[in-house]
This record gives sequence, C-alpha cells and structure tokens, in this order.
Amino acid sequence: MNSVWSKLDRKATAIAEFTIRQYRTRISTWVVLGVGLGSMLLVALFYADAMNTKIEARDNDQDSYDWDQDGYPTGQEILHGTDPYDSASYPVGVDPDPREKWIDEDDFNWDDASFASISKVGYDDDGDCRREGQLVSDSQKDYNGDSIPCNIVLIYSNYSDYLIISSDGNVDEDPDDEKYGKEALHRAFILGVGKMGIVYLLGIFLPLFLATGLIRDEMTNGTMHFMIAKPITRGEILFYRMLGYLGIVWPFLIALCLLMSLVTGFLGPSESFFRFSDLGIWFTICIAAMLVTLVYGALFSTFGILWKQGVVLAIIFAAWELGMAFVSILAGGDSAILKFSVIGWGLMIVDAGAALTWPDLAMFIEMGEWGGGNNNCQWGTDGDDCGSLIGSGPLRFFSSGHGLGVSDWMAVLIASLVLMIQAAAAWFIGQSLFKGKEMDD
Amino acid sequence: MMPDMSQVGEAETKEWVPDKTAPVVMFDNVSKQYGRINALTGISVALSGGVTGVLGMNGAGKSTLFKLVMGKIKPSGGVVKLFGQDPWKNTAPYARVGFVSENEKMHDWMTALDFITTFARLHGLTRYEAQKEATRVLNFVGLGDVMLKQIGRYSKGMRQRVKIAHALVNDPELIILDEPLQGCDPLTRTSVMNVIRELGRMGRTVLVSSHILHEIERITEQIITLHNGRLLALGNSHAIREMLDQHPPKISIMCADPKALAKDVIDIDEVRGLSIPSENNLVIETQHFGVVHAKLPGIIVDNSHNVWGIDNPDDDLESILHYLTGGS
Repeated sequence: MNSVWSKLDRKATAIAEFTIRQYRTRISTWVVLGVGLGSMLLVALFYADAMNTKIEARDNDQDSYDWDQDGYPTGQEILHGTDPYDSASYPVGVDPDPREKWIDEDDFNWDDASFASISKVGYDDDGDCRREGQLVSDSQKDYNGDSIPCNIVLIYSNYSDYLIISSDGNVDEDPDDEKYGKEALHRAFILGVGKMGIVYLLGIFLPLFLATGLIRDEMTNGTMHFMIAKPITRGEILFYRMLGYLGIVWPFLIALCLLMSLVTGFLGPSESFFRFSDLGIWFTICIAAMLVTLVYGALFSTFGILWKQGVVLAIIFAAWELGMAFVSILAGGDSAILKFSVIGWGLMIVDAGAALTWPDLAMFIEMGEWGGGNNNCQWGTDGDDCGSLIGSGPLRFFSSGHGLGVSDWMAVLIASLVLMIQAAAAWFIGQSLFKGKEMDD
Repeated sequence: MMPDMSQVGEAETKEWVPDKTAPVVMFDNVSKQYGRINALTGISVALSGGVTGVLGMNGAGKSTLFKLVMGKIKPSGGVVKLFGQDPWKNTAPYARVGFVSENEKMHDWMTALDFITTFARLHGLTRYEAQKEATRVLNFVGLGDVMLKQIGRYSKGMRQRVKIAHALVNDPELIILDEPLQGCDPLTRTSVMNVIRELGRMGRTVLVSSHILHEIERITEQIITLHNGRLLALGNSHAIREMLDQHPPKISIMCADPKALAKDVIDIDEVRGLSIPSENNLVIETQHFGVVHAKLPGIIVDNSHNVWGIDNPDDDLESILHYLTGGS
C-alpha cells in the first residue's frame, strides 16, 4: 500500500509527532498547562466550599415572626384566622409552632411548567391561601383571574422570549432558599467557569503560548530548513504542525472538562450520587473549547508567520475577544457584533448546550428572581432584586440565549460549522503567507 | 568510513561539461536583490554530475545561490531550474535533493537516529523504512555507534555529520553543502571531505561552498568563484595552483606557548615558514596543507602543548580574487 494517501499520512504523523515531542521538551508548555490545571483546581475548591456551605434560609414572606408576642408565629395565626397583631387573639387549644416551621414552608411546585404560551403551576403548601376566612379575600385567592384559586399562571411569549409570572396571593411564596440556591450556584459555576475559564481564558492562553511560535520559532531558531528542504509543501507543514499542537491542547482540554465534570457531578446538588444529566453541558463546553483553540491556533500561528512579533497581534486580538466575551455574557448571544468574533460563536455552543442540558433554565432563573413574589425591600439598603433568591443573580449573569433563532441542536451545529470555517480560512491565509515567505536564515 | 589521514585530496570528479539540455541545476541570468543590495547579479550556470566547489568570501553570495536552488527564496530576475522545475513554486524536486545548511542550530533534544528518522518520514517512508535508512546514512557518516545520543551532546564535527546524514537520507541525486567544513576540527574536516568526494565518485551532483581556497582545491578541481554576487569563470585550476604557490596556505594555531610549539613544528619537512604574529598565535606556512594537518595533532599531544584553536585564515583568497578580476 504505497498510495499518495499513505505517503501523506506518513508525513502528517511524522510532523505531528515531532511537534508534540518538541512541545514536551519545552518547559513553557508544562508551565502553561500546569497553570491552566492549577487555576481550574482552585476554582473547583471554591465550588466545593460553596456546595458545602449552608445557604441561610430566609423567611421570604416574613410570617415566622410573632408580632404580638403571644407565642404563635404570624403564619400559624393566619392559618387559624386569629389576629397576628393582637396578643389577645390566638388559636386556642393549639400548641404554638416553632418559628422555623414558618420558614421555607411554601416551596415551588412548578413541575408542570412548560414553555407553552400559558401553563398553570403552583400549590399552596402551607394553606394560607386556601384557608377560608376574612384575612384572605376571594379576589386575592384568584388574583390572576384564571378562575382557579391559589395557583400561578405562567405566560410565556415565544416572540419576545419573555416570561410573566402571575400569582395568586400566598402561593409558593416562601421557597426553600437552600434548595434553589445550591442548584442555581451549581449551574452558575458551570456556566461561569465553562464560558470564561475554559472557553475564553484557556481558549486564548493555550494558543497564545503554544501556537504563536508554531512556525515562527522554527524560523527564528534557524531549524526550519530541515523541514522545508523536504518534498512537502509549506501549507502541509503548517497543517501538520497544527495537528501536533492540537495533539497537546485537545487531550488537555478533554481531561480538564472530564475532571471538572466529575467534581461538579459528585459535589453538585443531586438526589443520586452523581449528576449524570450535567455531562451534556460539560460536553458542549469541551467541544466549544476545542473548536475555539483550533481557530485561535490557526490564527495565532498565522500571526507568527506574518510578523516576528506575531504575539503582539495575538494579544491585541485576545483583547478584542475579551470584549466580545463580555458582550456575549452581558448582552446575550443575539448581539450582531458577536458574529465578527471567534468567542461569540464558541459561547453560543455553550449557551445552546445549557439550554439542552437544563431545558428549564430560563424559567429557573425567572423563578429565582421572582422568589415567591415578595417584595421585602428595606428602603435604602436593599437593591431591586431583594425579593430574589440567592444564586439567581449569578446564574442570570452567566447564562444567555444563543440568539441564533434556531433550535438548540441547530445552534450547536451552526456555531461549530462557523468555527471550523474560520479555522480553515485562518489556515488558508497562513499557508499562503508562509508560501510567499523567503526563508533567509 | 575511515578518515583519509594522508589528506592528499584525490578528487576524482568527472569532466565538467555544462549540460544545457537537462541540467540538475540551471541558473539563467539570475539576480537577487535585498532592498537595494545586489546579492547576486546575472548568474548563468548549469551543473550536472560531479563535485562543484563554490568559492567566495563571506557575503559573496554563496548562500544566496544555494537558497535559490532550494526554493527558500525567490529570484528577483532570471530563471532558476532544479531538475527542470521552478524550486520556488514546486517542492516535488526536493525529493531528489539533499541540503546541508550553514546554520548550526539543530534540534538538540533529539537523538541523531530520531532526528534523521523523523525527517526521512517526510519523504513518505514508513517508520520502519525511515529508521532503516537513518541507520544506513548515520553509519555512512561514521556516527553509527553514537546515534542513540542526543544531538545536543555531540561535538561540532559530529553535528556537521548529522546534518550531512539528514541530507543523504533520501539517497539524493543532488547534494548541496553550504560551508560544511566551517568550524570543524582537522579530523572532521578530513572525514567530511572524504564523504563529499565519495559522493562525487558515486556519480552524484555535489555543490559545496567554502571561503577557503585550499579546502575546495582538495575536494574538487571543478570550481566556480563568486565575487560580490558575480560569477567569475575559472578557465582551469592551474591558475589557482599558480596562485597557491605564491600564497602558500597558512595554518593559524592559538596556543599558550607558540615559541615552544614552533620548535617542535619546524621538524616537519613540509613546513615552509613560521611566524608568531601575536603572543598566543603561531602561523605555519606550507605547500602541503594536508600533511601538516595530519601530523599536527600528534605533535601537539606528544609534547603536551596547550592548544585551543586551529584555523585556516583565508586572507589569501582576497588577493587571488583580486587577480582573477583582473586587478580591478
């Protein structure tokens, strides 16, 4: 078997293998990979700490307080129809509840929620809505006017991607802060570390240190002549060198994503011992990081061919990409300017992956920000979101829609394709620059 | 291969007949400019078979000439053909060429066997074939027993031979060596010269450059001379021989005690003159360059002289070039 293809294959493996071995002999390679791994382990420690710290249960509807000091918490008095503000009025013949019983006593019952235009959810666990009596009027019982008392109506507008939560009084009004917060922080951590840590920072820094010199180092060292004196085109040299670079960077990224998925899988809030369902998001983070390092690698090695100080161009480009990463995170994936970046497409993959892994994500964020519908803001001290649950803020910050206007699977596919085209274009420019370069060492 | 200790320089090269029909290397009115500097001007030459020496001082354009052949740079004017193809545009003819750069940087972290094997695979050989070929050429250049050592731990001469082995691995029809003797100790010089002559005997086309006339003269009689980027045609090598008589080759030795060394060296019959231009320098003039070079190491070792450098100064080349250019 001595076809053109087998010969090509031999050249490819020879150069790729050579490149990998060359990386292995350089201290800088190990420093960059070590710093990457170390910083990931560090954030994993913070994550483990957060998962092991109890989130303080807040009395979102403030009914655990005994205003009239008769020994009965407000919630219990309302349930029995006595006046919580009158010490002479209290449920007779009933033992007073401990205060804790009226904290987190009415959690979300939103399992039936969907992104249909209207869904009806919620159940009044503590019975302070369903109770007959004067303190809760009929109009409060059906505040949202759907003729069903004590429920919540979710109105979802597909057109504007907007969720309206319309609740009857005292339904799901004191959710479990710990349960929501852990889940939200867990998701926010994966999205934050995945998008900013792995896809952006590692995605930029690995190529910056490893790819910029892919061709340039050989040229400045004066060892390029060994390779270009062989019957092999310069385009092939760049391509096979890229393969060697990917041979170092991709296994590293895969190992890192696997490691982080194990950490978050075992430590994350879960009913079983491992959160298998999160493997999807880590898979898309890994894919995005691999594609982004492919594009940056091709681009930065091209910068290296273009100019001796190609790393300067790479840093300038990295700054632009940092800006685009923030645009994607703050303004969402539908910002048009993101189409002119690499990271924008990379983060789209993660965003689509998040939507696939957690179909309830958008609603989950709204749920936390609604936080029981209470507005217990202390004037001047609390912000606008003082009614929201812990964890909803970070999760809102780090998640965004992919903004492509297609299904999530389609978005992953399109963004991946665009990144591959970008890489091919960078390689094409790189190899034509390389071909026109006079080797004068 | 045993080094040729006699250093007689029996270059057995074919008669040089420029073959315009299908030359291995052809330059047709080639020029190369770097900015406003003319590195090469109007070079027309065709080479096929045998060892050709390219002589010229530093900066005369020898390396530029070779880089043009290897397609590393693009000619500013004229046509360069390598096996009938344009080497700048087409890498296919490189399969029949071996190139030894003057650049001394190498992949020091690899063993010689690894290095040669890796680059042999770029000719489309399998790993096994490449290893076999690499072992063959490393044995050919006399590094067979140390080929599993890292190149970084080799001496200068060994590194030079690794580079030659790298160029020979594809069994090329054309071998180009850019200053292969520079920085080599006398023993390596001899073995490198023998390798080159051997290649010539095997019918390969060899292009070898040097700025030292006596070296080139011992490798081949077929010499082209470059001066300021122009080709000086040499009618025959008698002119050079005449010049050599007028300017006997010199060997410059850097040592601790030149006077003591002079006393021992004067016993060699072939030494024609001795001078001590500076405190730590002894210069030997001789018509029998190779004989003296062969005897020197023994004398130095037997009398335990402290020597840290042996060099062949080329200040005589300038006067020869002056003569060749008609004294202009």
